[in-house]
Amino acid sequence: MSNLLEVIELTKFFDMGRNQRVHAVENVSLTIAEKEIVGLVGESGSGKSTLGKTVLGLHDKTAGQVKFRGEVLPQKYEAKDFRRFATNMQMIFQDPYSSLNPRMTIGEIVGEGLKLHQNHDSSIVRDKVAIWLEKVGLHADHMSRYPHEFSGGQRQRIGIARAMILEPEFVVCDEPISALDVSVQAQVINLLGELKESMGLTLLFIAHDLSMVRYVSDRMAVMYLGSLVEVGRADEVYFDPKHPYTEVLIGSNPEPDPELERSRPSTAIQGEIPSPVNVPAGCRFANRCPKVMDVCKSITPQLIPLKDIERQVACHLYT
Amino acid sequence: MNSVKADNGASLLEVEDLAVEFDTYGGIVQAVRGVSFSVEKGKTLAIVGESGCGKSVTVQSMMGLIPMPPGRITSGSAKLKGQEILGRTVVNGKEIRGSEIGMIFQDPMTSLNPTMTIGDQIAEPLQVHRGYSYKKAFNEAIRLLEMSKIPEAAKRARQYPFEFSGGMLQRAMIAMAIACKPSILIADEPTTALDVTIQAQILDLLQDLQRETGMAVILITHDLGVVARMADEVAVMYAGKIVEHGMVDDVFYRSAHPYTLGLKEAMPTNDPSLQHELKPIEGSPPDLFSPPRGCGYCARCPYAMQICNQRQPDDTFLTESHFSRCWLHHVSSPNKPDQLYFKEEA
Amino acid sequence: MTELLSADFRPLEAGQEIHGISRPSQSYWQDAWARLKTNKRALASLYLVIGLILFTVAGPWVWSVDPAQQDLDQISRPPGSERSALIVADYAPWDTEGLRFGEGLTLVGEATTQSVRLKWDALPGANGHRVYRNIFPVGPERSYGIPRAEFFDNSVVTFEDRLDLKVLTYYYVLVPLGPQGELLDNYEVIEVDVHRVTTVLEAIDQGLIEESSNLQIGDALNLDWHPLGTDYLGRDMLARLMAGARVSLFIGIGAPFLFVLFGVIYGSIAGFVGGRVDQLMMRFADFVVALPFLLFMILFKISFGIGPGESGVFPMLVAMVVLMWPATSRLVRGQILQIREQGYIHASQLLGAPRRYLILRHMIPNTLGVVLVTITFAIPSAIFTEAFLSFIGMGVAPPTPSWGSMSNEGIKTMLTTPHELIFPALFISITVLAFNLLGDGLRDALDARMRNQE
Repeated sequence: MSNLLEVIELTKFFDMGRNQRVHAVENVSLTIAEKEIVGLVGESGSGKSTLGKTVLGLHDKTAGQVKFRGEVLPQKYEAKDFRRFATNMQMIFQDPYSSLNPRMTIGEIVGEGLKLHQNHDSSIVRDKVAIWLEKVGLHADHMSRYPHEFSGGQRQRIGIARAMILEPEFVVCDEPISALDVSVQAQVINLLGELKESMGLTLLFIAHDLSMVRYVSDRMAVMYLGSLVEVGRADEVYFDPKHPYTEVLIGSNPEPDPELERSRPSTAIQGEIPSPVNVPAGCRFANRCPKVMDVCKSITPQLIPLKDIERQVACHLYT
Repeated sequence: MNSVKADNGASLLEVEDLAVEFDTYGGIVQAVRGVSFSVEKGKTLAIVGESGCGKSVTVQSMMGLIPMPPGRITSGSAKLKGQEILGRTVVNGKEIRGSEIGMIFQDPMTSLNPTMTIGDQIAEPLQVHRGYSYKKAFNEAIRLLEMSKIPEAAKRARQYPFEFSGGMLQRAMIAMAIACKPSILIADEPTTALDVTIQAQILDLLQDLQRETGMAVILITHDLGVVARMADEVAVMYAGKIVEHGMVDDVFYRSAHPYTLGLKEAMPTNDPSLQHELKPIEGSPPDLFSPPRGCGYCARCPYAMQICNQRQPDDTFLTESHFSRCWLHHVSSPNKPDQLYFKEEA
Repeated sequence: MTELLSADFRPLEAGQEIHGISRPSQSYWQDAWARLKTNKRALASLYLVIGLILFTVAGPWVWSVDPAQQDLDQISRPPGSERSALIVADYAPWDTEGLRFGEGLTLVGEATTQSVRLKWDALPGANGHRVYRNIFPVGPERSYGIPRAEFFDNSVVTFEDRLDLKVLTYYYVLVPLGPQGELLDNYEVIEVDVHRVTTVLEAIDQGLIEESSNLQIGDALNLDWHPLGTDYLGRDMLARLMAGARVSLFIGIGAPFLFVLFGVIYGSIAGFVGGRVDQLMMRFADFVVALPFLLFMILFKISFGIGPGESGVFPMLVAMVVLMWPATSRLVRGQILQIREQGYIHASQLLGAPRRYLILRHMIPNTLGVVLVTITFAIPSAIFTEAFLSFIGMGVAPPTPSWGSMSNEGIKTMLTTPHELIFPALFISITVLAFNLLGDGLRDALDARMRNQE
């Protein structure tokens, strides 16, 4: 499999004035092969959404490169760059409420891409929108309705139809299910799975729920405070985490199994994710890590491949 | 009648047939349609359901937190230690809210005053309800913050809400809620806005505090994982009604209602050997603007029968403490739920 | 409970509406209108505003009296006052020969708007007399009124008053004068009810009757009808209120539209471009806010140099637009900054939308609700500003009527003929109140969040 997307030492800082910078993403490298689903997990504030948006050009890159099919993408996007890559890369947003313009009908929202790209007749646009609404499990006659009339899950389907109508190759899904009810999450996951199969999509699936990411992803990347700490095959990472943070993340998630939960000791670790403004020296997880060593507080571990398995970990335990 | 009663008789809180409506400009939304449950001392009742199922409205109406109008409690009663609390703020000379029942919310920022220090906000009810001096109340506030495992509590008590992170704010909220030693703590989605590592901390804290103070907890959540970790009893709500209620093991391992089963199947399992497809519940919950005549779950239920669309099912008690509201349990029903559910494994 | 049949337990057929939506489709504006309709105060205000606009636009067709036309027979008449006049002969000088005296201060003949004729006997100790006229009864501590005539001669014992007589009750006071011309205390008072009369010639002159009409002396005649009375120059109040409404509403609605439009453009550019440009633009807006409004109004008025016959409406409009836009621009900028971070903007960017499209299609439509509310609140304040400026004489130039300048004129006769002040003041108050209530209603209807907080 060839690499569709390569993220090379990508860094994104936000200047806050008074010499303060938010280290949202720092020195992240990641490759995504064609027709692969890579899950990106981390807590809020880990920079996973910023990474997704920076890859697509919604944020300017502070340093580093993103290559799409070997072509280096612009450091700062202009309107014409977005236009050029619109048929290659799209995004599905987290909040199904703020991601749909409340003053536009569903038909206008889903058809926006076509309207901006091809000088189609409005009747052709309508037909295509109708087809796509059916494809995502809505009705064509919902076209004249407004977003507020739909439930969260239905809105997310609308957002998916909008992203897919230009038939992109690569889609960033920015926590597409975290605002949805449990019974509806699976609907959206399955819909994305079907579309991936039928369209040959490549997905970067951002989420904070590891168990869900394991279900949808081929590979999984775990992010903490702007850096990747572990990358590997999704199932392997989930059942055999190497980095202490991944371990904690998986252990903290309560499972719908009362007996297991009763028998399990407390998994809570102390402390909270530090502010990305004052990034600690050394390993960023050192202040919360249950397996912290002296070296962790001074030297930043690099993401390095492990010997026996297909895995990259940034931890001094493995160096 | 409908509520599940423990053997020892009198419950701490008993809610009977509670119904709440809201006037909207287009008509009436029946948010809660006859809910009954009881809470025992020192136990945890989890109310589970999707957004819009009425789980939050149920407890808010009990606490007098629903704006009226447009809200309206159309029927029902809620008795705390035998005293009616619906529509009242004081029972036996004590304020219900804060003093008898503490409450924490999903978003602590909205229920804290941004211009007061955390310590002052915790101390205030102690001064008002308990008549403590300011100094005594403030010291008590620091002790409560320590109980909530906030590091450097004395320093933190003098800080403002914006200086706290989400997890710390939720701890402060908990400290405030337990300040007057309530007999019941209502936690309305307390960890939904938090990360899993912080969620684990907060859940541990709630369990510790419950053990120390012996208070009952009503936990409102949509997360079955949290329920499994915390609950003694579970009430599953759907479309304004409780569809299944029982001890946590009964509800999880012997699910009687197709909705409970559907929720479980829609969640990913952690079993590496079981790489089953996620089975979503198709469709969306009914609009309570015009509630269905029959069972609210009928339109999404894979086992729906003719009767389900026409008449409301009654509660069927499977054991003394476990009931489900489904036509499948009816004597005339050709399919018994356990046959349907476990045929794959059998 | 009816028996349950086994048929009831057959499986339900598939093919139901799973994604059914039971509520009717409503756009944002339809939704807002539905909310507004339930708000009685706002709805009443809306009807009031519509009525006001009709009054202004259609009123002059129905009541086509020239607001500048003076009716000299009816000056400062309150609404509903008596307006019949008796036809009398043309005025002839008074022949005082053969009058009989000895009855003290008495009225000779009828008291009419043509003349009031008085005769009296010399008062004891008088070296002469002074005649006063008052419209209030004279009593202790009260003034006698306006001195009308003074005679240092006890032989003059008649007086004819022809000065600006109105249909009123007058009190004539006859005060004896001492040797040095000082006033003595033993005055006499007579109460005189004046009736309106006119002559055939006058009536023809004023167009009340045809020249060919054969009205005789002693016939009655009705003067022009003024439903809301007349002002101190005899101009019809209703016509002036309509003309004044045109000025007040033109400024009151025109100025907000213009400055809100400018504010929206300015604010959306600042918000969208952001960065240094935004900083610069907002500092300029701050600068404009800091300018003293009244001072600038006066400067504008002077620099425009309103000549004779000009109304002064235009400079006022320009001044308001120039000085009042920053509030809107700040509001819109804030909105745009907020909207810029919304998911649908990112989505549209990714679909390749150019900037212009983003602003026009996504950002501005989403600020329209706020802008509409701003306009509805800006209108009453502009109406009030116009009225205030005209009231203090810095607004429209006479004779152009506006509610403010009418109030200014009315305040001079506030005690005798209060209707001249009350009507324009009432119009200002009701208009301002109606727009404010409508604005409240709109805000509640457009912003459900705010409504929930109430």
